[in-house]
Amino acid sequence: MTNVYVHGVGMTQFGTFVDRTMKDLLLDACIQALNEAGNPKVDAVYVGNFMGGSIYNQEILGAIVANELGLGFIPTAKVEGACASGGIAVRQGVLGIQSGEYETVLVAGVEKMKHASTADVTQAINAAMDNDSNEKRAGLTFPGFFGVLANRYFFETGASKKHLAMVALKNRENAIQNPLAQFRKPATLEEIMEARMITNPLGLYDCSPMTDGAAAIVLSSKKSPVHVRSSAQSSGPTQMQDADDLLSIPAIRESGRLAYKKAGVGPEDIDVVEIHDCFSMTEMLAIEELGFFSKREGWKAIEEGRTKVTGDKPVNTSGGLLSRGHPIGATGISQLYQLVHQLRGTAPNQVAGNPRLALAQNLGGTGSYSVVHILERV
Amino acid sequence: MKIFACTSCDYHSVTSKYTCPKCQQGKLQEKEVSTKGTVYSFTDIHVAPAEFAHIAPYTVALIELDEASVKVTARMDSEVAIGDAVDLKGLEEGAFIYTKAN
Ligand SMILES: [Zn+2]
Repeated sequence: MTNVYVHGVGMTQFGTFVDRTMKDLLLDACIQALNEAGNPKVDAVYVGNFMGGSIYNQEILGAIVANELGLGFIPTAKVEGACASGGIAVRQGVLGIQSGEYETVLVAGVEKMKHASTADVTQAINAAMDNDSNEKRAGLTFPGFFGVLANRYFFETGASKKHLAMVALKNRENAIQNPLAQFRKPATLEEIMEARMITNPLGLYDCSPMTDGAAAIVLSSKKSPVHVRSSAQSSGPTQMQDADDLLSIPAIRESGRLAYKKAGVGPEDIDVVEIHDCFSMTEMLAIEELGFFSKREGWKAIEEGRTKVTGDKPVNTSGGLLSRGHPIGATGISQLYQLVHQLRGTAPNQVAGNPRLALAQNLGGTGSYSVVHILERV
Repeated sequence: MKIFACTSCDYHSVTSKYTCPKCQQGKLQEKEVSTKGTVYSFTDIHVAPAEFAHIAPYTVALIELDEASVKVTARMDSEVAIGDAVDLKGLEEGAFIYTKAN
């Protein structure tokens, strides 16, 4: 099979940019990535985006990129997979190159959220749930799902709200070192635990924020020092009441299993990780589902500091969704941005020992989609 | 309560599916079971979407039915804890409303 390599990455500052348009952010990230790649001839463009249509009245993002950058009349598409839009867009680029159709693909992700009211954004995000269900009509929300999950996790394990706070604190400490992160103000464990309740037991710091931002990556079959060792995707239950085991997110587990199988490696081989921590609880569960720690024991690994930059399995050295920020369509690509820098040895919170294998996991909905990419320094 | 049971394996669900997602062979058939159940987990929703803001904070629970291995998402009429015995109080705009059983 054709190998796929990373030739360039780009990322805007994540945060609140009332004076920047979605197009401005999107093109900024694309130009950074293309410059780093040496401005190659691009054969196709994929753009990950979730709510451009619903809250910004802007679609045709793929064609806009090709037109504004003067890439020619090449094929383009927008990819939607809720919060996994960016990761799925990258996967489309990988598949397009592996099929032999394209040599070089530009993949970007963008979201513009901060211009809208929280109520409007919440409403738009709810599009990532099955709205034609008794569950939605009962008033379940996104953070509500992870609140229900967290209470059961606490019930079955020794974990408590303090462990969720430890995840949030770790990711904040990492973001402080990341100049592109949205939240770089120090926080304390007490502050995090005492913050305003959103959906019991999740407080404000346990939930990812609304963010403006964009990220981009140039992929090619031509060789480079960063190899996309595998790309895998799965789906899962779209309703909480359909879950066979509430404390498992099958899409994460299955996409991880497939990615390891394709790469011929196991969780023990991975040196650095970016995980989809839309909520602190999600990170605690994902580190179990991806096989880094045993089921029902992720909280112990967090307590022991094993997922810190200095731990044996560093997770979210960028600050994660919780503190780097979560511009929905850009998130999956911003994870790869951090990991490419980790493999090059140029990342904020660079992990020790010249990491060789890096894993990114990007989740959509409450477990509707999950994408895993494993990158390798070659 | 109406639930759906697979014709060829032990899969049960409160929602119907075209094909059984567990064995991918059987079809799902309607079955009537008691509405009584136990709270499997819950959350209190303090920050609600616009359509539910007027009743916030409210409690949503995942309820394990007593007579089938089926879980149902419902809104509670009061706060609950895991393990509480509950029963259906009624339907409200397509939502199951549950209450603590005595
Ligand atoms: Zn079956």
